[in-house]
Amino acid sequence: MSVNVIYFSIMTFSFRNILTIFRRAAYSKFNTLSGSELVPSISLLVPAYNEEVTVIENVKCLLTLNYPTYEVIVINDGSSDDTLGVLRREFGLEPLPNPEMRNSIDCQPINSVYYNPQYPHLYVIDKPNGGKADSLNAGINLSHYPLISSIDADSLLEKDALIRMARMYMENPEETVAIGGDVRIANGCVIENGAVKEISLPRKMWPMFQAVEYLKAFLGGRIGWSSINGLIIVSGAFGLFRKDYVIAVGGYRGGYPGEDMNIIIKLHRYMLENKLKYRIAFCPEAVCWTQAPDSYRILSNQRKRWGRGNLKNMIENYDMAFNPKYKVMGMLTMPYNIIFEALNPYFKITGLLALIGYTMLDMTHWQVLVVFWLINFLSGYLLSIGALLLEEIAFKRFSKISDLTRMMFYSAFKFFGYAQLGGLWRIQGHIQYLRNNNSWGTMTRQSWQEKSGNAKSA
Amino acid sequence: MMPNTTLQSQREQSSVYLDIEQSVKETTFETSGVLFISCAGGPSYLETQVRGILESQPGLTFKIWSGEEPGSLFVLLPGQSLDAVHFQGLLLKQRLQEIVADFDPRMTLASFQGQEELTQQVLIKMEDSVNHQASGEIHIFSKDDIQTSRSRILIVEGDATVREFLEIRLQMQGYETTVADNGLSALELIESWKPDLVLTELNLYGIDGLPYIHHIQRLDVDEVPKIVVLTEQRVEQTISLCFQNGVDDYITKPFSPVELDARIRRCIH
Repeated sequence: MSVNVIYFSIMTFSFRNILTIFRRAAYSKFNTLSGSELVPSISLLVPAYNEEVTVIENVKCLLTLNYPTYEVIVINDGSSDDTLGVLRREFGLEPLPNPEMRNSIDCQPINSVYYNPQYPHLYVIDKPNGGKADSLNAGINLSHYPLISSIDADSLLEKDALIRMARMYMENPEETVAIGGDVRIANGCVIENGAVKEISLPRKMWPMFQAVEYLKAFLGGRIGWSSINGLIIVSGAFGLFRKDYVIAVGGYRGGYPGEDMNIIIKLHRYMLENKLKYRIAFCPEAVCWTQAPDSYRILSNQRKRWGRGNLKNMIENYDMAFNPKYKVMGMLTMPYNIIFEALNPYFKITGLLALIGYTMLDMTHWQVLVVFWLINFLSGYLLSIGALLLEEIAFKRFSKISDLTRMMFYSAFKFFGYAQLGGLWRIQGHIQYLRNNNSWGTMTRQSWQEKSGNAKSA
Repeated sequence: MMPNTTLQSQREQSSVYLDIEQSVKETTFETSGVLFISCAGGPSYLETQVRGILESQPGLTFKIWSGEEPGSLFVLLPGQSLDAVHFQGLLLKQRLQEIVADFDPRMTLASFQGQEELTQQVLIKMEDSVNHQASGEIHIFSKDDIQTSRSRILIVEGDATVREFLEIRLQMQGYETTVADNGLSALELIESWKPDLVLTELNLYGIDGLPYIHHIQRLDVDEVPKIVVLTEQRVEQTISLCFQNGVDDYITKPFSPVELDARIRRCIH
């Protein structure tokens, strides 16, 4: 019950903010900003591991962003496929004789840096395999600008995404240490020339569930959390950070998944321990489109990995929970994440077992059960609808009525099976953690063209 | 293609120009004088008046056609040099003004050496050049006019409003225009449509910034078009890189339309 109370209060915060966000999205003059000399420059870090199918499209997209000064640093993390080769051929890159790598953060030594003066804002780092966190650290060491932004190689940024984020940063450059962007599912959308041309929902079942889930998490949850400065994660797919603080906390931590949540917890900890005023914001109008896994196996791998990373982060930082020194983070965010996110499936199972036990012992009536279940279902559904409502108030990305009804349907359908699977994957992730199984799992990519081809023919 | 081009092709098919071309070919003279008179809302008897004035001079052969616009006339004077055609123009103007007091005709005249020079396109340009004349002076149509009067400008701009504004404004200046809304279709159009000048934003979908400028310069065309950048991008480094890479002019938004006109004119001439 209490979990629902928290969900609803977070959602209320989201609603309170949505009007401001809407006005900001609709009227702010970011276009004039997009050419200004005064906008801080940003280094985009793109870790790429076996991405030969999508990487070109991606880099092309990143090179045509609406932003005055920025650089794109692709880090080839020892790919076993031809990721580096396709990049070099497409952009005519040659190795730089003396790359200026700082050693602000420890990372594995790199092989070389590739560059072509014809594309003055593109660098490609080639390094032996060391994981996503290590790649990001290498990127930080090469980056020339004060802000860094990590972007997954399977994601596409909207042209205005970066400038919208920078606008939010410029409101309060002293205190803002990180800003998260909104991540949406691109499956089903028509993609052309590195830009999303036509928005529609995924055709397949798994991505569809995720689309609903992401919408709820990002719009319903993160807007609210950010308004009380209790955001615990900035999606690894698209986030903006101040480089000096990232270096101050020692960069990204390798070895475990969930490095995106880890860096945010570390930032919270650092800022609070040093009694610095800070803000970790969420910018829902900065949109990044990502490819969602569309088969059961890949999805379950991804979720197990998330569960593992989440548990690791919680265990590492359990001291923050219920510690008044850490303010909102310690009193609300951490306890919430430990109890309701990490341990959630266990509560569900024990609850279920207890219920079964009670019924077996004839201590309860079926009416009670039905009422109990209905409350659960309806409140959950209400949350999803709330997120949908937020979306429609502020962004109106999905214009087709059929898409809306599909979303409503899937929001309800989610409670019969998908939500339970989510719990199962989380537990499996925890088991993997305890067994020290630390593989990243497979993640296959489809070319964007192929994707949009499918979407058209479907 | 744009409405402007379709209009032109309609005009090319119309019989007036073909007739004129035909009669020039039938004559045996090396030179042929052409006089174009236009008078907005001019009197319907203009043609008979002109005919009467020309017939009163013995030994002068001529032919008259009505132009596209009402109240406009083409007069072909075979065998007449530029001086003679100019004289006829002055004479016609004076006589016509004697008959109707507030008559204000616009005239363009030319004398062509050899028959190849006189083509439909040239006649169309002559007709258009009258519309751009500021004063009532007789305009002598020269080779300069043929080359410059209808330069082709490709407008590349992502914002629909700005695009439309530029298109209308440049068309009013007498340029022939085509538009593109992203980098890739712009590159295709440069190859197929061969503009004299590309007026472009730097921030575009598909391809943009310096790689885009490089691409334009490496395209397989006889003459690389002039490039004028009109953009939001105000970062000094980008501007200097653009000039280093052969951009002809760089204008930042918000821009003054008058300044834009002047800079485009200077680039083309």
